[in-house]
Amino acid sequence: MWGIFLESVVIFKNFMGWHENHFLAGIYIFALLYLWLTEKDKTKRAVFVYTPTLILLLFFCPLFRKVFVRIMEDSETYYRLLWLLQMSIVSAYALIRLMGKHRRIGLAVACLAIAACGDYVYDSGHISRAENAYHLPQEAVDIVDMIKPEEGRITVLVPADLIYYVRQYSTDIELPYGREMLIARWDYYHAMYEAMEKAEVIDTPTFVELTRSYPCAYVVLKEDREIAEPLTEYGFSVYGQVGEFVIYKDMTLEQR
Amino acid sequence: MTMIIGLLFWLVVIPFCIGLIPANFIAEDERRPGFILLSGYFGMWALFEVSAVPAVLWVEYDNFKAASAVFIVLTLLSAAAGVWLLYRSGKAGLIFGNMERHDIRGGAKPCMAALGKWLLHAAGIEWLLFFALLGFQLYKAVAYASFDGDDAYYVVESLIAQEAGVMYRILPLTGGSTGLDVRHALAVFPMWVAFVSVRAGVHATIVSHVVMPLVLIPLTYLLYYEIGRALFGTVFCRENLPVFMVIMALFQIFGNVSIYTTETFFLTRTWQGKAVAGSLVIPAVIWLFLLLCGKADEKKDRRGLWMLFVCVQMATGICSSIAVFLVSMLTALTAFVLACVRRNLKLLLQFGAACIPSAVYMAVYVYMAYSYLL
Repeated sequence: MWGIFLESVVIFKNFMGWHENHFLAGIYIFALLYLWLTEKDKTKRAVFVYTPTLILLLFFCPLFRKVFVRIMEDSETYYRLLWLLQMSIVSAYALIRLMGKHRRIGLAVACLAIAACGDYVYDSGHISRAENAYHLPQEAVDIVDMIKPEEGRITVLVPADLIYYVRQYSTDIELPYGREMLIARWDYYHAMYEAMEKAEVIDTPTFVELTRSYPCAYVVLKEDREIAEPLTEYGFSVYGQVGEFVIYKDMTLEQR
Repeated sequence: MTMIIGLLFWLVVIPFCIGLIPANFIAEDERRPGFILLSGYFGMWALFEVSAVPAVLWVEYDNFKAASAVFIVLTLLSAAAGVWLLYRSGKAGLIFGNMERHDIRGGAKPCMAALGKWLLHAAGIEWLLFFALLGFQLYKAVAYASFDGDDAYYVVESLIAQEAGVMYRILPLTGGSTGLDVRHALAVFPMWVAFVSVRAGVHATIVSHVVMPLVLIPLTYLLYYEIGRALFGTVFCRENLPVFMVIMALFQIFGNVSIYTTETFFLTRTWQGKAVAGSLVIPAVIWLFLLLCGKADEKKDRRGLWMLFVCVQMATGICSSIAVFLVSMLTALTAFVLACVRRNLKLLLQFGAACIPSAVYMAVYVYMAYSYLL
């Protein structure tokens, strides 16, 4: 039980971002305490003080965590219990109450505190200037436009960089493996993935045999990907190049 | 042009008309266009759950087309009922309640004058600041792409429904066929995105990444506006509401303290059902608790609020299966606390009854997930 409690503490710390020196939760805890002491309205007290406190108690309760994980069959989403706290609404309400009539100066101080304790979302490494209306890398769009069949579906082997995007643009392209192989903690095994991504140098005969077992109509490789023997010696031809990606077409499929 | 008309019809006109139904069953002084639009969205999503979930579970071929057909009939009937209620209530009474009508109906000039007066009064600067922050968030949502690995599942599910007309029968990650993954299959929000995409004729990925943020971000702030109104009442609203909105907007922008917060989800994966659950549905439950159990005169008509509460519970199901459990828990805890604080056990029964759709959803979930044991 103590171990489960400590796990909850770690989840709480990770959620609040304390390990990265973010202290927005400090504003929330201050707001909650302030409302504990000052809020008189019964409904607001129930919604903004008592219920969040109960949720916090439940969150840290090992027995509750055991039941939650058992029911949901998933321990990775336990942090979502903290969504019920609605920290920003409670904090904003408490801050405004605290400001009283000093609204302008209070707002300025609140803004500074939020900016100082929080983290600017648009600084995230996952956000970049959109290259097109799909919000997908243009290279992925260009590659799919080049190889997309006029009718039916084809299987295409693409490098990990493109795995997430290809099928967001067209579901006519099928993949031997998908995003599930890129999540290390899931620890799945896939022979094609091993041959394509894990091998330091692609072992061409095995690789080609695997691609033809699907069969992959096209193989996309980064131009600097090391390969024992060129694919062109195994019935593939270079179909085109988009940026750093070289597209190979399996010519033997047309002969079958 | 057809695309824009299609988007406006399904994302503004239809929800607004549906929202007229609950608005008809609340006190006149609580009727506002914002309330109507929010109610309409929750009503529309509740209808989508009723249309799509049975189709996912029990229709094997072309289940998306079947769900869409049922949804179109239900939404058009509901919208027509809303318009009929509007017509019956006479002019704009159902939309504007007893707001200052001369400001609204006197034509463009007085309207602009009223707007100018409103902006220039003491809280005008705060309102301008809020709208600047909102505009900034919308600009970022359109001009910048946010990478999220889950899109390889959710966005592709929408695209499969749009391109192949089936729901949850094709593995989104690779394209192979698959059995029903109950945990994801009951949360049909990506299918609603697909529905909008098909009706408007826009690629589902564009609808997810561009159109949805343009709709869901303002809608979420509309909800925060209504929460602010409920918190500060009519007396203190004028000064406090814009400050509340500015602080809420800043919390969203600086709330990225980890990848897990609702604020991060709100601005980086706006189009995913779980983000909608965290930023829109859970706050909506809090909003309705404030309205249903607030200080307002108990004799006021609240049937519309109860209708809306049931719709919000149902809308949770389309966002995320886990959210159903969370929202039910929030409802149970808050109702329990309110029943104790107000010494009114009737509240527990009332809120319990409003959670029946969630109970049915969870029963279906458990049945489908564990039916192999039977």
